[in-house]
Amino acid sequence: MKLKEHWETLTWTWNPKSLRESSDSVVRNLLLHWFPAKVSRESLSFRYSFWLGTITAVLFFILCVTGFVLMFLYVPSVERAYPSLKDIEFVASFGRFTRALHRICAHLMVVAVFLHMMRAFLTAAYKNGLGAQQNRPVNWIIGVILLLLTLLLSFTGYLLPWDQLAYWAITVGTNIARAVPWIGEQIRFALLGGNEIDQNTLLRFYVLHCFVLPGVVLLLFSWHMWRVRKDGGLACVDKLARDQKQKTSATIRAKTYSLLGITSGHNVHVQTSYIDEDEHLVESSPNLTRRLLLVTLATLFLTSLLAYVVRAPLEAAANPLVTPNPAKAPWYFLWLQELVADTTIHMGSYTISGAFVGGVLVPGLLVAVLAAWPYLDRTSANATGVWFAKERHQQNMMFLAIVFVVILLTFVGTFMRGPSWHLYWPWQTWPETPTRF
Amino acid sequence: MKNTKLSQPEIEPKGAPVVENSSSRRSFLGRLGLGALLTGLAGQLFAFLRALMPNVLYEAPRSFKIGTPDSFAHGITYLQDHRLFIGRDQHGLYAISAICTHLGCTVKPVNLNQPRAVQVAGKLVEIAQEFHCPCHGSKYYGDGTNYDGPAPRPLDWYRLELSPDDGQILVNTSEAVKHDFRLNA
Repeated sequence: MKLKEHWETLTWTWNPKSLRESSDSVVRNLLLHWFPAKVSRESLSFRYSFWLGTITAVLFFILCVTGFVLMFLYVPSVERAYPSLKDIEFVASFGRFTRALHRICAHLMVVAVFLHMMRAFLTAAYKNGLGAQQNRPVNWIIGVILLLLTLLLSFTGYLLPWDQLAYWAITVGTNIARAVPWIGEQIRFALLGGNEIDQNTLLRFYVLHCFVLPGVVLLLFSWHMWRVRKDGGLACVDKLARDQKQKTSATIRAKTYSLLGITSGHNVHVQTSYIDEDEHLVESSPNLTRRLLLVTLATLFLTSLLAYVVRAPLEAAANPLVTPNPAKAPWYFLWLQELVADTTIHMGSYTISGAFVGGVLVPGLLVAVLAAWPYLDRTSANATGVWFAKERHQQNMMFLAIVFVVILLTFVGTFMRGPSWHLYWPWQTWPETPTRF
Repeated sequence: MKNTKLSQPEIEPKGAPVVENSSSRRSFLGRLGLGALLTGLAGQLFAFLRALMPNVLYEAPRSFKIGTPDSFAHGITYLQDHRLFIGRDQHGLYAISAICTHLGCTVKPVNLNQPRAVQVAGKLVEIAQEFHCPCHGSKYYGDGTNYDGPAPRPLDWYRLELSPDDGQILVNTSEAVKHDFRLNA
């Protein structure tokens, strides 16, 4: 009996027995305090957000935990990196599983971030709605930076095994940096810490991968979440408020939970007519926490299962003298490699390198337009938080077309490029042993 | 907003008055302090970043010896350790880099069944082999001229010298030369 009481004092915030306990738990529990006391059902629904942001965050935390374990087992030196990888694979207990889990989560995180970005675009979640003090465009830009950081994290991790796959993927990747006009050589030199991929490069990538980039991701992730709160939750809440405004003109019984909302110039009425509390809102604890834990469990289960089935590849030790055929960049850069290989333009004696067009110009423009899109999108606030809003039809189609091209090029680069970058059907056998990614 | 809000007379707060005067000593000191802080931080940042740019490289030397001239027969010899082709024709010896000018993979030599004449920069050149890159399918003639694939420029040619002390060939990979360079040896 005594034990049970102790247990309940520790866990009641996760399983409140009354409405009073429910709102108390958000105030009392450090882990729950960043949630609002109440949250709309719509933003908890799977069909609106697919919980992709949460899945991404869960993947990131699995990556941190498995990464910490791997840091104890891995030595970032040219002589010992590859042997320590062999130890992780064949000697350390559960080493193979830990590494496979880390790798599968890294790949899935790239996918999840990308899908999350697609969701945000297609629902116009970067647009402000009716709420006060919203600045969703900023959060969209933070998201774009987080997407780039995820790619960089994955890319820096790619070199660490110091096998052939790693070495040549990074060779191709860092040579693209050389195609930047004027300062390309210097960028590559700074990236590699020399002219060749060597000890300096390995240590640089290691520190970036294990400390710098995850640190920046954590900071931006916190900012991302804080902005979601400041913007009044997910964009679908703005749709609820809009529908409500059309339905009824009477003031709706609702409370403001934020004194900050009053102090900086917006009066109470803006806040009170937001959305109908009884109709749309439920208590965050346990409704939000339950789903959060469910998504965490599902992600953990699926990735563990995949890690158990799909082994992380480890090829022969890195050999700067032998280029494998074909040599491929990591799969999420293969659409760029495809561009890099196809876009060299010869005009008489003048040549524009494909490395510049496909590796610098096209991705640079894409990222710039992506980041600036909230400011270029001139549609009304009515599109905010709506899947495939009619007035955004054109830009949604354009966006999907670009996504389709990127996926198509990635597919071609991954499954259809054989030795010497010749085209093969996925079911055709290559004349030489294929290289895995 | 300011005018409508207060009906009572404005009361000056006691103590040090906060005066928004750009020429006051206080604001000068404030800006001086801020400027010093920012300058200090920028200087530190520069120092930290500069420390990351290596001053000494422990890489393989850019110029090295590869043996005496008589060890290279007519045709192309591949030196794997240096990623370098040494060629010999009737005019002498020459060195072509095996590093693809596209994205740095090692090109593979492909011997043609019989020599053929190709047009290079308006001149007819007879070639006996080609170089193909495994990464993105760039192709070069035997003289290093790119003719197919994404490679933006020909393979590099390097200067060859005879070392005065032991008569070995000295390759200098930091000095590119034109395609008519030959070492008579």
